Amino acid sequence: MPARLSGRAKDLKSSATVRLENLAKEMQRQGLDVLSFALGEPDFSTPPHICEAACKAIAEGKTTYTPAAGIPELREAIARTVERDYGYSCAPEQVVVSNGGKHALMNVWESILEPGDEVIIFAPYWVTYPAQIGLCGAKPRVVRTTIDNDFQPDLDEVRALVSERTAAILINSPSNPSGAVLERSIIEGLAEIAAEADCWIVSDEIYRHILFDGRQHFSPTMVGDEVRERVLLVDGASKAYSMTGWRIGWTVTPLEVAKAINRLQSQQASNPSSISQWAALAGLEGPQDCVRKMCAEFERRRDYIIPALADIPGVKIGKPAGAFYAFPEVSAHLDGHIVHKGKAVTNDDQLTTYLLEDALISTVPGSEFGLDGYIRLSFATSMDKIQEGVRRLRRGLVGG
Amino acid sequence: MSGGSRIRVASHIAALPPSGIRRFFDLVSGMEDVVSLGVGEPDFSTPWRISDAAIEALQRGYTSYTSNLGMLPLRSAIADYLRTEFGVEYNPETEILVTNGVSEGLDLAARALLEPGDEVLVAEPCYVSYKATVSLAGGVPVVVETRAEEEFRLRPEALEAALTDRTRAVLLGYPNNPTGAIMTREDLLPVAEFAARHGLAVLSDEIYAHLRYEGQHTCFASLPGMRGQTLLFNGFSKAYAMTGWRLGYVCGPEEIIGAMNRIHSYTALCASILAQFGAIEALHHCQHERDEMIDAYNQRRRFLVNGLRAIGLECFEPLGAFYAFPSIKSTGLDDEEFAEALLEEEKVAVIPGRAFGESGKGHVRCCYATSMSDLRTALERMAAFLDRLPRQV
Repeated sequence: MPARLSGRAKDLKSSATVRLENLAKEMQRQGLDVLSFALGEPDFSTPPHICEAACKAIAEGKTTYTPAAGIPELREAIARTVERDYGYSCAPEQVVVSNGGKHALMNVWESILEPGDEVIIFAPYWVTYPAQIGLCGAKPRVVRTTIDNDFQPDLDEVRALVSERTAAILINSPSNPSGAVLERSIIEGLAEIAAEADCWIVSDEIYRHILFDGRQHFSPTMVGDEVRERVLLVDGASKAYSMTGWRIGWTVTPLEVAKAINRLQSQQASNPSSISQWAALAGLEGPQDCVRKMCAEFERRRDYIIPALADIPGVKIGKPAGAFYAFPEVSAHLDGHIVHKGKAVTNDDQLTTYLLEDALISTVPGSEFGLDGYIRLSFATSMDKIQEGVRRLRRGLVGG
Repeated sequence: MSGGSRIRVASHIAALPPSGIRRFFDLVSGMEDVVSLGVGEPDFSTPWRISDAAIEALQRGYTSYTSNLGMLPLRSAIADYLRTEFGVEYNPETEILVTNGVSEGLDLAARALLEPGDEVLVAEPCYVSYKATVSLAGGVPVVVETRAEEEFRLRPEALEAALTDRTRAVLLGYPNNPTGAIMTREDLLPVAEFAARHGLAVLSDEIYAHLRYEGQHTCFASLPGMRGQTLLFNGFSKAYAMTGWRLGYVCGPEEIIGAMNRIHSYTALCASILAQFGAIEALHHCQHERDEMIDAYNQRRRFLVNGLRAIGLECFEPLGAFYAFPSIKSTGLDDEEFAEALLEEEKVAVIPGRAFGESGKGHVRCCYATSMSDLRTALERMAAFLDRLPRQV
């Protein structure tokens, strides 16, 4: 057959996160006690009042098609949330609800990118970014950040990458995988560069609720009215309300883009699950203490895992200000002193394979996120597992 | 900067036409006392067993991501179902991908198979988004018309005539939306031969497979030599009254499903876990509920088709899906005028045939997945409408 695949399909590699997670599951099936720190998913179930709203929707027969952009009630609630949390006025027509944040982000790229366009992104980045940009025939241009500057991009480097083909600058704060939160001055600087380049700012704010040390979220939409006209904001219910499996995300954009996304979605995907939409509405409208509680729990875990990791010789780590990932630099352990299956471990990819097979702990290599010499550990797992995981990591890296 | 502002929508998205059907829904919304034969959606509630299974999953705390491919128990249930009902074998580990409705599956297939400029032969009239899906992936939809005189069956001669050296795939949906046409095994065989002869992929949308009122549905993949060349699309919306749950699936050769899953993992991640639990229950325990709904559709089908003929509209016998597609040429109006006037004057919503492609002109789509009393009212109103029209010679 026609087993001939399109170029873009052939070019697309499967994500290492998924590959490692599958490998870990396979080892677990074989009876090995593997601890997984690979997947980025809250370990809490969806709060009961949200589940109850879903049951009610089902019982009331709200199981039919909805408008492609989502039920008006949810779009209105999202617009109100934006007004409350960001302090600017937002019309429900600027909101389009999609099948999860990933889908919402893909809609953004498809609505603005043309083949040959460029998007400036910062490494370490979520692996989905370059994959989605590539699927649109566009190219990511990468500005590297490191632990030494707390993963803040250098504005001059960003400016130097701007070209005639720059369609957007992508901001993800708090960040997956680094947990870094961009400083306000950096976001303002990026907004200035976007204004000079007259390009979009795409802002993935899916982790905005998971912030530590009493921090307040700062979004590029909050820089000012003019800047907001170029910001395409992506958010969702997955991380804030532990609703990953429900698949509800959304975009908040200037009206013209919202209309384009709506048209695109009506042709390409139709509406997201009606039941999930009613559940997400309950999340947004209901009591928000579930969000605070979850955030406090993540902060407690961060406060344990970060010093514990910092205590391992050769592991360098800052203090993530948000999200639920630790992203230590481990290049001191890539000098060949670790030998796995007769071969010296000299890169992060080999290291994570070694850690999985030898120390029975599943992590993701930094190279997956465009930054070699690091590993990512999700601390969206129980305190017991975190403690045991850190012990195994220490044993794997320095023995004893 | 030279090159001008980038604060704009990509040109191909700016050029994307809104679906013709949606324009009509906008007209309908805001009107009162409308009897709608418009939306292609069951009027039945989702069977209670399915809802119950989803609620139970929730109560047990199943609210997380699933495997990108979908839950293995669901894929296994789909494999069993396809084997039992249609005699096609798929490996649930590697050859079945669960999607957010058939729409997502079609989009993934187009992305996985099409290079810019590749042509896809699209049997028309057809579902409103087929052509847009092909175009959005950079492909070129090439319309292959089917005709009322031939009961809207897809003819190999028509396919041959549209073939070029850029042709890459054939996209067809039978039982058909909007016409209600079916293709028998004998009708499909020459299409399969055509696809085999030219090495074309066949994208077969079989979402209405169960809504057949005469004979048995033939899975395209079950035709000789076609399994390795076919992508089979199906889902739960129509047969199990699960439209809002958004759950579909696609089956095909491992290499293509694998590529589609890679794209899916970056663009969607997985389908709703709740819907997946519901779907498992649907396949395991809801044949009875499904068949009862189909019986009801069949009764409505006869009533509507006879009624349309009785009030003077020519209507070929639809043997599948839940649509009648009468010709309104005898009224002297075109399909758009007809639908708009009928809505305005008698508050009955039907969809102009051209929403499903040029070859649908002169027809209107009437969905009979609605109550008998609505169908009766709709027919009475249509009769009054037709009576007022000047007689055509």
